[in-house]
Amino acid sequence: MRVKKPTLIITFATTTQAMAVEKFCGDNQLPGRIIPVPREITAGCGLSWKAAPEDKEQLATALEGSGLGYEEMYIIEI
Amino acid sequence: MITVNAIGDACPIPVVKTLNAIKELKGADVIETLVDNEIAVQNLIRMADKKGCPVKSEKISDKEFKVIIEVGEAALAAPIDTDNVVCELPKSGKKNTVVVISSKAMGHGGDELGTALMKGFIFALSQQEQLPTTILFYNGGANIPVEGSVSLEDLKNMEAQGVEILTCGTCLNFYGLTDKLAVGEVTNMYTIVEKMTGADLIVKP
Repeated sequence: MRVKKPTLIITFATTTQAMAVEKFCGDNQLPGRIIPVPREITAGCGLSWKAAPEDKEQLATALEGSGLGYEEMYIIEI
Repeated sequence: MITVNAIGDACPIPVVKTLNAIKELKGADVIETLVDNEIAVQNLIRMADKKGCPVKSEKISDKEFKVIIEVGEAALAAPIDTDNVVCELPKSGKKNTVVVISSKAMGHGGDELGTALMKGFIFALSQQEQLPTTILFYNGGANIPVEGSVSLEDLKNMEAQGVEILTCGTCLNFYGLTDKLAVGEVTNMYTIVEKMTGADLIVKP
């Protein structure tokens, strides 16, 4: 059985933005991975960034600093 | 009422015995067939339905079932073929679903987008209540179940829940990834063909 745990989900306005964030995070060794936006969230484009809740501040700072930005951050159980 | 005893008979004997009993009827009658397994019950019901005969079954015990078929005049007039009785095996609850991943990207168009979509597909697949039986990776798909792949976590999760993960050895060799396979087993074309031809459903993103 799958175990659900609190997860940070970051949504983006466009698919291109989500893919640029994937590249940016990869290049800068930032935590997380790209996943389809969970069904629980009905915002943003179809792709989102998934990471641990404790990575929230680090990712927020990095994304804002890079100019890439993001749409919303959510902590949900998936 | 005629009673046919088919206890201890394996399919298709219960159906054949019942058909033979129908053949010998002189007029409309009821045939009661005794069998010892559920498959025989289902096959008898299917046969009766095909003939348009009302049918009901009763479970007497775990090893004893009664199938009662009302044979009407119309069913008696129809030809009876006992040579081509098909044995159908019961469907198990779970479908044998095989997911085939043959490229790094999902769909055609932009490969960069396709790669992001494929990562998403594998993640979403791992979140399903009903997981596939097998996932096959070949050609460009062989780049996915290897060290450093973001999908590795999802594939390992699925493997831990009993999903069989098989990657084409020829393809790993071609891409120089033989030592990098990080989940599941290496397979060959014979097994790939066997898995695909034996599937109830093939899912190809």
